[in-house]
Amino acid sequence: MKLNKNYIQTFIFILVYLFAIYFWSQPYQERKLPYGEHDAVSHFEVGDYMAYNDKSFQKLPPYIDIRYGHDNKFKPHTLWYPPTFHSALGVIEVIGGERIVSIFLLNTVMATFIIISIYFVINSLFGFFPAILSSLFIIFSPRDFMPYLWGQWPERFAYAFIPIILYCFYKYFISFSKDESKPIYFYLTALFLGINLLIHPLVFFHSIVGLIVLYAALSLKQKKFVFSFKHTTIGAVIFLILFLMFPYQTFNIFPQISPQSYIGNEQRKTPDLSRLFHWSLDPDIYAGSVPAWYFSFKDMNGLWTLPFLLFGIFFLVLRREDKDLFMLAWLISLYIILHRDIFGKAAFLHRSLSATAHIFAPLTAIGAVYLGSFVKMPLKYNRYLKYAMVLVFAYFVFSINFVGASKMLNKNTYNPYTNDGFLSSLNNEEYQAGQWVLENVPDAFNITLLGIPYTSNFLELTAKKIRWMAAVSQHVYRFYYLLDGRDEYLKHNYVLLDYTLLGALNDKETLNEMQSFEKNKLANHTLVYDKNNIRVYKPELKKQ
Amino acid sequence: MLIAILAFSFAIFGISGVRVVLGIVFITIPFYFILNNFQLSDSEKFVFSLLFGITIFPSLVYLLGFLISFKLSILIVFLIMITVGIFAKRIRHT
Repeated sequence: MKLNKNYIQTFIFILVYLFAIYFWSQPYQERKLPYGEHDAVSHFEVGDYMAYNDKSFQKLPPYIDIRYGHDNKFKPHTLWYPPTFHSALGVIEVIGGERIVSIFLLNTVMATFIIISIYFVINSLFGFFPAILSSLFIIFSPRDFMPYLWGQWPERFAYAFIPIILYCFYKYFISFSKDESKPIYFYLTALFLGINLLIHPLVFFHSIVGLIVLYAALSLKQKKFVFSFKHTTIGAVIFLILFLMFPYQTFNIFPQISPQSYIGNEQRKTPDLSRLFHWSLDPDIYAGSVPAWYFSFKDMNGLWTLPFLLFGIFFLVLRREDKDLFMLAWLISLYIILHRDIFGKAAFLHRSLSATAHIFAPLTAIGAVYLGSFVKMPLKYNRYLKYAMVLVFAYFVFSINFVGASKMLNKNTYNPYTNDGFLSSLNNEEYQAGQWVLENVPDAFNITLLGIPYTSNFLELTAKKIRWMAAVSQHVYRFYYLLDGRDEYLKHNYVLLDYTLLGALNDKETLNEMQSFEKNKLANHTLVYDKNNIRVYKPELKKQ
Repeated sequence: MLIAILAFSFAIFGISGVRVVLGIVFITIPFYFILNNFQLSDSEKFVFSLLFGITIFPSLVYLLGFLISFKLSILIVFLIMITVGIFAKRIRHT
């Protein structure tokens, strides 16, 4: 009977998780085209390069180096992230047998892994209902899916490790204090911590703060000092092995946090102590890069969650079992991370905000599920009340959070055939041309491009399109009219004329200009690709 | 369960989706065998092996990919990890 119950619960979770995959993958399900902001381009490029060229690489190829050549301060012109995340994309591209669905689907799995982590941890500690409700809530959490859409891919995956790391340490601590030590959980903590660093350093620091707070909370509650020299030494060795696995990348952390770096300079800002009384950040500071609604509790969670969230916290504070301290320590660690500017660590503060739903969701679900425990009534009616609260929670999630999320994430998100992605995403014609360039243009040549708007009012969007062209074709692309010495450049490089946007833009002037350009400037070039309103010309002279 | 996931993947993403799911299973299985040697619950083994599969496996492929073909590295790392799992089991039993 128990097995059946577990089986049914697992089956329900799998249904919920598959729905999460469906919901988050909408932008590429039908079109099967790449999309996203600049960060997304870079992550695609690195994984795709390994798989397509069938080799690992350290030194960046020119089309990646042109933008990221100096992001690795420790070893410039090499990978700026440890390759763990990107080689996973590469491995799955090889197995998947194609470039877009393989990479984007694995990324969706990794970005939604937090749903698996939360379900696993909350189910282990608090049971099925808080776990499944938390998972359901996170599917529609904009602070999770928006950074995923924006392209902060490794960071999204790295957040899935925080609950797992805390859980492993919690299990170690609890078993240790019962004198039946299970060091395997400590070694797993060290392993996941090391992997967490390889995926994203910012989240690694969040995990460290979480561990410190959890250790302090459990030590105070149990009035025990848990330490084993042997376990700590083995754990440290495991972590060091992982840290030294990719030294060019992990050592890049040190110049990044040095006082001379951007992050170091950010640290010197005067702390604003009034922030201690707010969870979120001032949206005005991030105007232009992050929308204001991203900082709003109401817009990100829905005001309906607030009473349940507060009740959940109240319930845990009142009960104070070990697992309750686990949740509270996690919450406190998030508070510390979100207020680290007080300690002079302000860089990428808004990025940490994206971890809020991971603790708010389970606290809200616990608040809803355990609400009945405060009402004195027969056990049977208490159980009915619990089921009723589960239904109420699910109703609110679907009627408020799902509806809100569907407006931001749907099949038209980054759609190149609608306003959402017309200027920033590749259309199918451009993708096909990019694929042709990849297969036919030698590596030594660059591509100069006409037809995609390049003026300052368009450039913020079209810069993404040209970067996706570069990513798909693995070549350096430059806007022709933004080149210095363009006539000389033209002689030695391929030219791509993209007529696919002009009709929709009703831009007859550019159409005439491009036709005249073909006639006058490309007399010594050979037309090598002419399909779907895109033309590619090959230079007559070989590159010296 | 796996068949249901494969059917879903095929319906939404086509054959590439199926291959991605099988790929995730492929890189995860060796770690499940390894973790099977420890006193962990089924759900712990499942979640941890997924995480190790998606991270440790490709990291090893990347390192080996400097010496041999990236594609071949995937196969070699799989065989090595499966062997580690089998040996760990034998060592535990002896």
